[in-house]
Amino acid sequence: MAAMLLLSAVSVFGHDAPTTATAETKQGFTSIADLDGHELGVQTSVLYEDLVKDRIPNANWHYYTMPNDMILALEANKISAYLIEDVGFVAQYAQHPELVALDEVAGVCEYKVVIGNNERQEYLTQQMNEFIRKSKENGFLDDLYDYWVMNFDAETCVIRTNPVSTNENGPVDIGIEGGYEPFSFESKNEYSDFSGFDVEFMLNFCAEYGYEAVFHSVPFESIAPAAETGKYDFGMNIVYSDEREETATLSDTYYSCDIVFVLEGFNETNAGFFERMGNSFYKTFIKGDRWKLFASGIGTTMLITVASIVFGTILGFLAYMACRHGNLFANKVTGFFNWLIEGMPTIVFLMILYYIIFGNTKMSGTWVSIVGFSLIFACAMYDMLEVGCNAVGKGQVEASRALGYSDHQSFFKVILPQAAQHFLPIYKNDIVTLIKETSVVGYIAVMDLTKMSDLVRSRTYEAFFPLIATAIIYFILAGIMTTIVKRVQINIDPMHRKKEKILEGIKISEDDQFVL
Amino acid sequence: MIEIRHLRKEYEGTTPLEDINVTINDGDVISVIGPSGAGKSTFLRCINLLEEPTSGQIIVDGQDIMEKGCDINEVRKKMGMVFQSFNLFGHLTVIENIMKPQMTLLGRSKQEAYDRAMELLYTVGLAAKALNYPSELSGGQQQRIAIARTLAMDPEIILFDEPTSALDPSMIGEVQSVIRMLAKEGHTMMIVTHEMDFARKISNRILFMADGGIYEEGTPKQIFDHPQKEKTKKFIQRLTSLTYNITDPEYDFEALNEELQAYAEKLLIEIDRTSKLQICLEEICVNNALCEDDPGVLINIDYSEKKDILSLRVRYKGDHFDPKDSDNELFNQVLEEETTTVVDLKDVEDENGYTNDITISFRWEEEE
Repeated sequence: MAAMLLLSAVSVFGHDAPTTATAETKQGFTSIADLDGHELGVQTSVLYEDLVKDRIPNANWHYYTMPNDMILALEANKISAYLIEDVGFVAQYAQHPELVALDEVAGVCEYKVVIGNNERQEYLTQQMNEFIRKSKENGFLDDLYDYWVMNFDAETCVIRTNPVSTNENGPVDIGIEGGYEPFSFESKNEYSDFSGFDVEFMLNFCAEYGYEAVFHSVPFESIAPAAETGKYDFGMNIVYSDEREETATLSDTYYSCDIVFVLEGFNETNAGFFERMGNSFYKTFIKGDRWKLFASGIGTTMLITVASIVFGTILGFLAYMACRHGNLFANKVTGFFNWLIEGMPTIVFLMILYYIIFGNTKMSGTWVSIVGFSLIFACAMYDMLEVGCNAVGKGQVEASRALGYSDHQSFFKVILPQAAQHFLPIYKNDIVTLIKETSVVGYIAVMDLTKMSDLVRSRTYEAFFPLIATAIIYFILAGIMTTIVKRVQINIDPMHRKKEKILEGIKISEDDQFVL
Repeated sequence: MIEIRHLRKEYEGTTPLEDINVTINDGDVISVIGPSGAGKSTFLRCINLLEEPTSGQIIVDGQDIMEKGCDINEVRKKMGMVFQSFNLFGHLTVIENIMKPQMTLLGRSKQEAYDRAMELLYTVGLAAKALNYPSELSGGQQQRIAIARTLAMDPEIILFDEPTSALDPSMIGEVQSVIRMLAKEGHTMMIVTHEMDFARKISNRILFMADGGIYEEGTPKQIFDHPQKEKTKKFIQRLTSLTYNITDPEYDFEALNEELQAYAEKLLIEIDRTSKLQICLEEICVNNALCEDDPGVLINIDYSEKKDILSLRVRYKGDHFDPKDSDNELFNQVLEEETTTVVDLKDVEDENGYTNDITISFRWEEEE
C-alpha cells in the first residue's frame, strides 16, 4: 500500500510538469475530441494510442521509432499532434519552446522493467522488485524523478550517485532506447556511454547486487522482444498493459506519468537562416564533441562492411569451389542457404540471427551483423562466381584440360582470371549495396553511422545536418570502396598489361624486335 | 602407338559409340569421316578422356589410360588437341597462349618457352601477331595459333576436332595448309573432318564411321574410289552429286537453289560455274520442262573432281524442249561457250517414264 501511495504522489508531481499547457495552439485545437479524424503520431510499441481510441476513433495514427522524429513530423505538418509522456515533453520543450501540450490528459501509464526470459529470470525478478520497493521507501526513486524529470537540463544533468559495482556476479545485458531524454540518452560518463533516469537507476541496481551493467541501445519496439528471447536480462521503460503482463515477466512499476498530446504553438524563434544553420551545425558536430560519435559510427560501419566483404568473399568462394563439380550435397546445402537468405529482407534476417539464433549467446550486435552480412555477401559472391565462370565457357576448360592442366590449374590459371573480369563490375555494385544495407544494424543494438546520426538527432532535435552529413559520409565511403575495387579490377585485367611486362626477363633476338 | 579396344560410350538414351577397335601407329595421318551424328567427335574426345568412355581400353605406350591410378594429366600432355572453336585463352596474348602451358606443364623456363613459341609462330606465319590478343585475330589466324599452342607441347599425337568447321570458307585454306605441312613432317594425327577433298589428300588412312562404330576402313583410294559397303558407297556418292525430284508444279524453287548453293560451297566449285548451271537449270526446269499435267522432273547434278567437270542432267516427262529454240539470251550465251557441252536426247525409254533426257556439262575454263 505504501508503494501505491508513493506512486500516486509521483503522478501528482507529473501533472504539474508541463508548464506550458495553457498556451494557444496553432491549429486551434483545445481538447482531445477536436483531434478526431486528424493525422496523429505516436511512438511504436508504447501503446499510448489505446488510451484515447474510444474518444477519437477516426484518428489516423502514424508510428515513429524515435520520439524526436515526431517533432520533425509535426513541424513538417505530417501530423497535427502526437502523444508522449509529459516527462518526455518537458525535455522536448526545453529545446522547442514553440511546442504546446493539451490540458486534457490522455491517460496515465505505468512503467516497468521487463525481465529477460532466461535461466536468471526468477531471481533477477525478485532482486528487481526488491530494489524498486526499497528505492520507493528510501526516496531514491523520488529523488531520481525530481532530478532527471522535473528539473531536467540536458546540459548539466549528470549521474550524481556513485554507483560503483564490484561486478562480482558478472554482467547483465540491459536494453534501453538510448535516444530518449531524459530516460536514456547518449552522454558519455565514467560509468557508461549513456545517461538518464533509466541509466542511473540501473547502475544503482547493479551496484547494489554486484552486477556489471552492459547497456544496449535498440529501438523501443525491439526491447521487449529481445528480453522475451532471453537476449537481454532487463528491458527498460516498458509500458504496462494486460497483454504484456500475460506474455512477459514484468517487474513492479518504477514510475508512472501522464500521457499528453503535443501540438504546435506560436512561440517560434526568430533567428535568421544562417544563424539557425550555424546553431544547428554547432549542435550537431561541435557540442559535446559529437563529431566523435560520427567518427565512431563510421568506424563501426566500415568494420562491418570490410569484415563482411572479406569473410563473405572467402565463404562464397569456398562454397563455389565445393559446388563446382556438381557435388549433390554441397549444391543442396548452398542452394538452400541461398534461397533462405536471398528471400528475406536484410533486417528480418539480422533480427532472426540476433534475437533467435544467437539469442542465448552473448555475441554482440556487431559480430552478429558481421555474420549476417558475411552470409548475405557470400550468397552474392557465389552467384557472381557462377555467372562469371559460366560466361567464360566450357571451351576454355576443355582446352586447358586437353593440354594437361589439372582441374586446379585450369580453374586458377585459365577460368578465374577471365571470370574475374566478368564479375568484378557486379562485385563493385554489391559492395555499394552492402555499405548502404548495413544502415539497418541499429535494430540490433549496433552503434553504426546511421544509429549514431539517429542518436545525435534525438539530442539536438535537428534533422538537417545529421541527415545530410550521414548521406555525404555514405557517399564518400561507397566512393572509397568502389575506387579500391576499380583499381584492383584494372590491376588484374590482363588486357591492361604493358608489353614490356608481358615479355619481362626475355631476351628477344635482333630479328624479332618487331614484336615490341 | 595407341590401341583402342572395345571402346563404348553411352549417354542416357543413346549409345553413340558401341564397339570401337582401332590401332593408331606412329606417323599415321587418319581422317575420320561419316554422316553427322555418327559419333566422330565423341570418339576423338574419348581418346584423351575429355569424354569419359563407358567401357573399353585405350592403351597408350603400353599403359591403359582408363585404369584407375593413371595420371590422365600426364597422358594428355602427350596428346595435343585442336578444337573446332579454337579455344585460345582469351586473357592471354598470342605468345603467352603458347608459352604458359610449356612453363606450367613442361617446366620450361620463360626464355625457352618464348623461343619455342616464336619458332612456331614463324612456322604458322603469325610472328607479327605475338602480342595481340586472340579476340583481335580472324578465325583462321586463331586456329593456326591453337595449332602452334598444341605443337609447343611436343605431343606424340595431335587430335583435330573439325578444325575448319567454324571458319569462313576463305580461311579454310590457310589452316589446311598448316595441317598439311604437319602431315608432311611426319606427325601422328587424327582428324575429324567434313572436308573430304582435304581428308583424301593428307591422310594415309580413312575411318568411315556409322552405326556406332568404324563401319569401313581403308586407304583414301579404297574409301573414296572403291567403297565396299553400302552406307559408305551412299555417303561417298552423295558427296559429289545432288539429286532433286520434282513431282509438284508448286515446288519450292528457292529451296532447290539453296541446296545447290550449299553443294557448290562444299565442293569448292567456283561461283562462275555454279551460276552458269543455275541459268540452265532455271531455263530448263522452270520455264520449259515442267508441264502442269504430269509434273515429273528428276534433276541430277554431278561433279567429277578428277576431270573437273560439273554436269547437270535433267530427265522429264511431256513435250520435248529444244534448247536451241530458247529465246533466253543468257541461256544461249552459256550454251555457246566452248566449255559447255550439251547432249539432248528425246523419246528415250526410261523405267520411271521419263521421255526426255538432257545433260549439260561445264568444263573448267583454263586461263590462257
